Amino acid sequence: MPDPWLYLQATAASAIVSAACVLAMARLQRSGQAAWFSTVCVPGIGAGLVTGIHLLSLSPAWPPANALDRFFALVIPAALVVELISGISRVAGQIAWWLRIGLAISIPRILLHGSVYLTGMDSDWPLWRTSVAMAISAALLVGIQVLLVRLSERSPGVSIPLALCLTIQSAGMTVMLAGYIKGGAAALPVVATLAATTVVLWLVRNRSDGSAVCGTAVSVLSVIVGIGVVGLFGVVFIGHFFGRLSMGSALTLLLAPLLCWVPQLPQIRPRSPLVIGLLRLVLVAIPLIVVLTLAKQTFDREMGPLLTQQFPVTAVPRRLHQ
Amino acid sequence: MPQRYLAGALALFTCAVLGFGNSSAFAADEYDYDLVHSSITFKARHLDISWIHGRFNEVSGKFSLDREDPSKSTFQLTIKADSIDTANKARDEHLRQPDYFDTKQYPTIEFQSTSVKPIKGGYEVTGDFTMHGTTKEITFKMMGGEEHDFKGTKRVGFSTELSLKRSDFGFDKRAIGPIGDKALVIIDCEGVRK
Repeated sequence: MPDPWLYLQATAASAIVSAACVLAMARLQRSGQAAWFSTVCVPGIGAGLVTGIHLLSLSPAWPPANALDRFFALVIPAALVVELISGISRVAGQIAWWLRIGLAISIPRILLHGSVYLTGMDSDWPLWRTSVAMAISAALLVGIQVLLVRLSERSPGVSIPLALCLTIQSAGMTVMLAGYIKGGAAALPVVATLAATTVVLWLVRNRSDGSAVCGTAVSVLSVIVGIGVVGLFGVVFIGHFFGRLSMGSALTLLLAPLLCWVPQLPQIRPRSPLVIGLLRLVLVAIPLIVVLTLAKQTFDREMGPLLTQQFPVTAVPRRLHQ
Repeated sequence: MPQRYLAGALALFTCAVLGFGNSSAFAADEYDYDLVHSSITFKARHLDISWIHGRFNEVSGKFSLDREDPSKSTFQLTIKADSIDTANKARDEHLRQPDYFDTKQYPTIEFQSTSVKPIKGGYEVTGDFTMHGTTKEITFKMMGGEEHDFKGTKRVGFSTELSLKRSDFGFDKRAIGPIGDKALVIIDCEGVRK
């Protein structure tokens, strides 16, 4: 059963640990070097995630037994390592992208490992169909990552990671409403750590001066967005392939953050950063509200009677009333 | 001519070997699980005041019974976890999800006997029970075993009841909720001799 109090505790703890780690490490080097700040972000996000996962009793078994275990034991650490390497200024941007693409190609295979999709035990999923699904999923992941990181470089702003956090949170709630409680809860520490790191970035940016600001923001945003996209993809992919998240909802959730690109239109671009940021959040929120509303309706229709123990009277044969 | 004798001798030898092979195989009678006349049902406490009943609709298995040396008998059962049926579609869908049976990751529930002992009226069977990716050794009493010839087909029937704790098989303790941890599994199976 969902435990809102526990979720609140885990979210708060993840956010506090992440923010504290990033702030503490950022204080070690006050020069505000972009590479340094991006590098300290990653362990900060990692520490927050570990805290949240532990509090939610989602700590993965070893060897990982199910998709959620593989997500937390393999996929997230791999994403953190890739972003850690990407954040180092000495590493060429191209190498960082090759690492991201390599990870994106591996993630669907890792998450489906040992399941009916790969063992051939489900006649609806012959190997060719699974291979196509994995290829499309990997392409989607790479595409979303490229577009959002490029947007972070072109028009940096905390609204991009915040929109991503909003989407991950909505994905978690949708997966939960579809009946997979743990899968949905997995989104909470991801959202908390990314949101906390984004807020710290925003605070540091406002206190920093001139030249370092822009570089720091772009570099750290790319790291947060890189991890966030992998987090979103993991929650949605597991929710769809192992839970009952519909294909339509899954695609809407995955593609929603791309609406952050809309304010790049020439007519909107000259507006103030605040307006652009708010517009990004509103635009991303619209499809998310639709997905959540539909998920809630399905939940009320299908799962509601199980919880309230009230079944429609029309389902009872008339003879029983006589 | 000698070649013809040689061929004859070889044919005789082959028949003899096959014959012996068959006679040793017949020492244990092999049966296939008869899905039509068998059932695997379960019940679990709801709020600790009542029972929820369910069944698995897709089961396969085989058992071999060695009447002369019962310790050589074997029992094997495979249940498709996806076939869970509690007479409520929404609940069944929920039970298939990763919070419960995680049927996409663990599509089957399996039992393979490791030792069989004859007891009065049946057998005491010990074996590996695998559910939700976790294997535990369990022991239970399979009552029955008498053979019945029905329209030329030999059949044998067994029944047993066993109590399992879901938490022993890696089910999330938090997802156990209002449904009790313990489940009573009732197996009534009929085997058709091969």
